[in-house]
Amino acid sequence: MQARSEQDARIMVITGNAAAAYGAMLCRPDVVATYPITPQTEVIEKLFEFAASGELDAEMVPVEGENSAMNVVTAASMAGGRVFTATSSWGLAFMYDAMLAASGTRAPVVMVNVNRETPGIIAVSSGQQDMISTRDSGWIQLVAEDCQEILDQVLMAYRLAEDHDIQVPVMVNYDGFYLSYLAGKVEVPSKKRVSDFLAVLNEQPKRQILLPGQPLGCGTHGILQGFVELRYKHVQAMERAKAAFDAIDQEFASQFGRGYGGQIEEYRTGDADIVLVASGSMCGTIKTVVDRKREQGLPVGLVRLRMYRPFPSEKLTQVLKDRKAVGVVDRSVGFGIQGGPIYSEVCSLSAKFGGASVLSFIDGLANTDVTSDHVEQMLDLLSAAARGEPCPQVTWVCMEE
Amino acid sequence: MTEKKKKLSKVFDYLQYDDPYAGGLTFCAGCPLESLARFVPQVLGDDIVITGTPSCSAPVLLGQNIGTWHRMPYYGTLMTGAAANATGLARMYKRKGIKNTVVCFNGDGTASDIGFGNLSGAAERNEPFIYICYDNEGYMNTGIQRSSTTPAGARTTTSPVGRMTHGKDVTSKNLPLLMAMHKVPYAATATMSYLEDLAKKLLKAKEKKEEGFCYLHVFCPCPTGWGVPTDGSLDLCRMAVKTNFFPLWEAENGEIRFTREVNKPKPIGEYTKLIKKFEHLDEQGVARLQKDVDFNHSILMRLSGSCEQGGRHD
Repeated sequence: MQARSEQDARIMVITGNAAAAYGAMLCRPDVVATYPITPQTEVIEKLFEFAASGELDAEMVPVEGENSAMNVVTAASMAGGRVFTATSSWGLAFMYDAMLAASGTRAPVVMVNVNRETPGIIAVSSGQQDMISTRDSGWIQLVAEDCQEILDQVLMAYRLAEDHDIQVPVMVNYDGFYLSYLAGKVEVPSKKRVSDFLAVLNEQPKRQILLPGQPLGCGTHGILQGFVELRYKHVQAMERAKAAFDAIDQEFASQFGRGYGGQIEEYRTGDADIVLVASGSMCGTIKTVVDRKREQGLPVGLVRLRMYRPFPSEKLTQVLKDRKAVGVVDRSVGFGIQGGPIYSEVCSLSAKFGGASVLSFIDGLANTDVTSDHVEQMLDLLSAAARGEPCPQVTWVCMEE
Repeated sequence: MTEKKKKLSKVFDYLQYDDPYAGGLTFCAGCPLESLARFVPQVLGDDIVITGTPSCSAPVLLGQNIGTWHRMPYYGTLMTGAAANATGLARMYKRKGIKNTVVCFNGDGTASDIGFGNLSGAAERNEPFIYICYDNEGYMNTGIQRSSTTPAGARTTTSPVGRMTHGKDVTSKNLPLLMAMHKVPYAATATMSYLEDLAKKLLKAKEKKEEGFCYLHVFCPCPTGWGVPTDGSLDLCRMAVKTNFFPLWEAENGEIRFTREVNKPKPIGEYTKLIKKFEHLDEQGVARLQKDVDFNHSILMRLSGSCEQGGRHD
């Protein structure tokens, strides 16, 4: 379970941002494009530290904007490189067209996105609205819960993105402020162990890359059936990513002693009548409240979403089957739809998972803490719903304080 | 093979590589961009990787589905990030020690407008590739809209001529000069009527890109968009140079020198009268354009006369 020796891993107390940077450095990227934005900046500072000390040997490209960051890494990936970049919120929005190009050309880019509220209302604060806004970009989107998982997910992201059967860019999300600047205990594996974990990629068939003297059209016009075929293949690859992520997670567990459950983590769901579905750092608080409620004899549990795209529909359907009440906590809003974005997707499965009431909780917007009181309040409402009492479909928990 | 019938022009000496395009492939009738697109790889060689954006060249360069009309490795990408994509390719080849000539081939819309930020960024970081802007003074592929290199007074569909408006109401952005002022290893202007000059500049760029960023601004009239006979584009190129509307120069590390001196420049009216997009210009309009031409030229004169203290400081 734990580190075998100093050579295998170092135990450090580092921030979520540093964990992301260590994760990237350990995977030995060829090209790293960087642009600062709060609360991500520490990631790129750390990477430049690594480059300065020689720990990281990569082409460092300090670009003039996030749009270029995504373009640089996409093209470098087309030229055969392993690549990394990091962003947040406005930066993610600014690179949106390039994100579409990355996924459309099936460039296996890996990026961390440090979740922060999006522009308009200037909020230098946490929220998943940025991730939600890029839902249909054709990227695989993962969400981490703590500093250790950030590092681990970056390693797994490369396995997923560069897998011959997947070849889709991967975004690793974690809550800005809550995790970006939170220092926690992190086991940092050695480069050797990480390259062992990634070694299977070298045995796979080589992907096609753009090289001088080798005629190849990348980003050609997709006309009619040509376009349809490529879209279909992309969608199928996203579907394959679900089982692939489960398998990678299991393999990760056997090599590093830490497994997370793949697409979703189930926490005390076995006999639970009431289940909360949530993602990100708030899950730590929710787990504490679940434990407390269990002590009081209330059968509650948590399903933590670790993969937002592709959406783990099958896994969720399975785990939510025949519950009495299901609550979905969104750290973002759904404009023009009733309830939060993840809630609405869980609802779309409700016909399959059976008669439970499904309630939407909007909480944690703009760094409003998802407190244990908030979680208690959600569970109280869900208990009422489970008893068949009328409950509001949507509750803005963060507004009601 | 039959004997050569007549002595070929000297410019053919520069065409050391095969034309990578399929025969029979054409752009709009009379478009010098086609000649440029064929000329560049024949001079630069077979280690070329070309990247470009949705533009006039895209229908030909990009190919369709699994077919293309040329034998070059090509990456079709975004107008917003053309130079950033070229950066990604060039850095990766550099890292792997792969001999390459990455050419970022774009129109003036990408270079001077939507992709200017990352063009400037790549130049500032001195990225090792060649950026070629073919300047047809507007968004021709979308149907002739003004760009920031459209000259003052010119008619386009978004700077129309009517009772209230009289063509573009502001002067153009001097993009090649802006790029030279990034003090990059090499920046130059060229046009299709002086092919030897263009070929020399391409070869110079290929050599200088070992030191970093190279920029070539190629004046490329658009017969369709400007209202010029299909056999008139090369005459226009010549006249643009002879009127100092488009002076030919090169700059190494920001030090400018003319590659073709024009002793007695013709008045700009000699140029504008050949082009329908200027046909509405009255004396005042022509005078305004002349003033802009003179101003741009005077800057070049001053800069080229004071080279001693120039240079990149790194």
